[in-house]
Amino acid sequence: MTSRERVLAAIRHEQPDRVPVDMGATPSSGISAIAYSNLVKHLGLNLPTRIYDVVQQLAQPDMEIIDRFGIDVLDIGRMFNDKEEDWYPVTMANGDTAYYPVWFKPVLQPDGSYATFDTDGTTKLAHMPTGATFFDQTYFPYLDGYPENYDHLDEEMGRILWARYAHSPWDHASEADFWPKLREKALWLRENTDKALLVVCGCNLFEWGTFLRRMDNFLMDLMCEPENVERLLDELLKRHLATLEKVCHYLGDVVDIIRFGDDLGMTNGPFMDAETYDALFKPRHKILCDYVKEHSSMHTFIHSCGSISMLIPGLLEAGIEILNPVQTNCAHMEPDYLKNEFGDKATFWGGGIETVGTLNIGTPEQIRSQIFERMDIFNKGGGFVFNTVHNILPDVPPQNIVAMFDAIKEYNAKQ
Amino acid sequence: MNELLEKLLEAVESGKADQKSPFPPQLKGQDGALELTISALEAGVSPQEILESALIPAMDKVGKKFTENKIFVPQMLMSARAMGAAMTQLKPFFTSGEIKTKGTFIIGTVKGDLHDIGKNLVAMMVEGSGWSVIDLGVDVSAEKYIQAIRENPGAVVAMSALLTTTMANMGNMINEIKAASPETKIFIGGAPVNNSFCQKIGADFYSPDPQGIVEYLNKQAS
Repeated sequence: MTSRERVLAAIRHEQPDRVPVDMGATPSSGISAIAYSNLVKHLGLNLPTRIYDVVQQLAQPDMEIIDRFGIDVLDIGRMFNDKEEDWYPVTMANGDTAYYPVWFKPVLQPDGSYATFDTDGTTKLAHMPTGATFFDQTYFPYLDGYPENYDHLDEEMGRILWARYAHSPWDHASEADFWPKLREKALWLRENTDKALLVVCGCNLFEWGTFLRRMDNFLMDLMCEPENVERLLDELLKRHLATLEKVCHYLGDVVDIIRFGDDLGMTNGPFMDAETYDALFKPRHKILCDYVKEHSSMHTFIHSCGSISMLIPGLLEAGIEILNPVQTNCAHMEPDYLKNEFGDKATFWGGGIETVGTLNIGTPEQIRSQIFERMDIFNKGGGFVFNTVHNILPDVPPQNIVAMFDAIKEYNAKQ
Repeated sequence: MNELLEKLLEAVESGKADQKSPFPPQLKGQDGALELTISALEAGVSPQEILESALIPAMDKVGKKFTENKIFVPQMLMSARAMGAAMTQLKPFFTSGEIKTKGTFIIGTVKGDLHDIGKNLVAMMVEGSGWSVIDLGVDVSAEKYIQAIRENPGAVVAMSALLTTTMANMGNMINEIKAASPETKIFIGGAPVNNSFCQKIGADFYSPDPQGIVEYLNKQAS
């Protein structure tokens, strides 16, 4: 099987020839710049650490790394910012040099932290405390309440760090020839690699509510201002559908997977009960999924952190096929429970190893043992793409990343 | 029990902050925690009894239901907001000493960490269980904790982290705080933290949810 055939077989719930693997195709199955820089040094390679997701400080893995570790899927965004002059050097918290896209210019503060500001030079949009390894949102446009109308929603969304500092390809979205260029680049990848292709296209609903209103307010709004919540969600949906129309038109026959995002869970349980999800979000997730299915051949993927097993039935009914990052360290997210309960319908893209507790502090033997156990459970009958539980964080030693890929190789050799 | 206190308990448990609040729908138009507290005080109920017979048991129920996944963060925040509305009326009695609290609880997020929703929930639940809470906010240094301990001898300290990268700061901070104030009990919490990490870094207690902290604190106070 080619990489693409392997990933597609897994999504169709057919047994692939080996477990398909992702690292770096999405901003929730990736690797932090510090961990990546350590890995590159450990392997004795001379490759730049390019921080393509500046908010989360994630590196875009080089094709040499992708091929070395047998990674089966690529983010089409990697085709942008492909020239040296698209990047400039910065020093990371661990002292290593990495590269930012030229458009990202955070300002060093007197206390050693970094901040970014709006065009007025004073409104702080994002902040990375000293020694921290990613940026936090500091500007919440609807903190004091919902606006009377949404005439300025686009501008306000543009002030939220996730949109303002969006990773590629979206950092090029305002360019006149963006869409045909995006198609051309995706086609190049299709013709010149055998990898499955993925496009990250947020279409977040719950999360945009939390970005605009701030998490605590929006959570309470779900209870006490459902009408305002629905009005906002419909405005967001309008914008998301306009983007999806373009994505499906230009990429729908080239790209294999479209990745949505909406964090619905926390460690102990979901943010909301299934009734609230089903009333407010499921119908709108369904509209997004239906559109993709009617207008493209792409498979639908959602990233949601946390304990979401109570919401998985609703997500599947909405038309979501792939779940990530399968946060198995949360309550009610045990691998065998998830596979038994939802494995006939859902593809699990993640859950292959705990990034916290095993990959960061475990021995190679502990890493191997957990990976074998997870593969046995998740890979039965397909429906699984190996990925760590969320991004590989800075504290993961490179030896452990190598041990992880060695274990995957060993497991596959036994199949 | 006094009917007003029963209603107040129900208002806080169900998250009805004031009369205007549209939540929960079944109490629409009725008095919320704010009005019921005012009425109880006017009716001569002592502030201590309002706290002990209505607010504390209400938040206790809320904490338990949250632990059992019967309610979720939105409902818990609504209850905390309702309790906050009642507290606005009781604050003067805390200041004057008419209400006796169980002790002082100092809380913040660790140095480098700006994520405070979990910390805020714990602060509200602990306050709702009858403790006086000093919230130092986010990105709090060991020095700031030490100063707050000096100003509030005997206080219990809590710190939370959301990230594996910032949880690493907890160990050093605990060493510094314990060096300055060896007797101070320190709680830790947050998504990446667990009991073995708690023991490893020399913290005194860990709980995966707010209710665990409340129960531990109440045992200490009793």
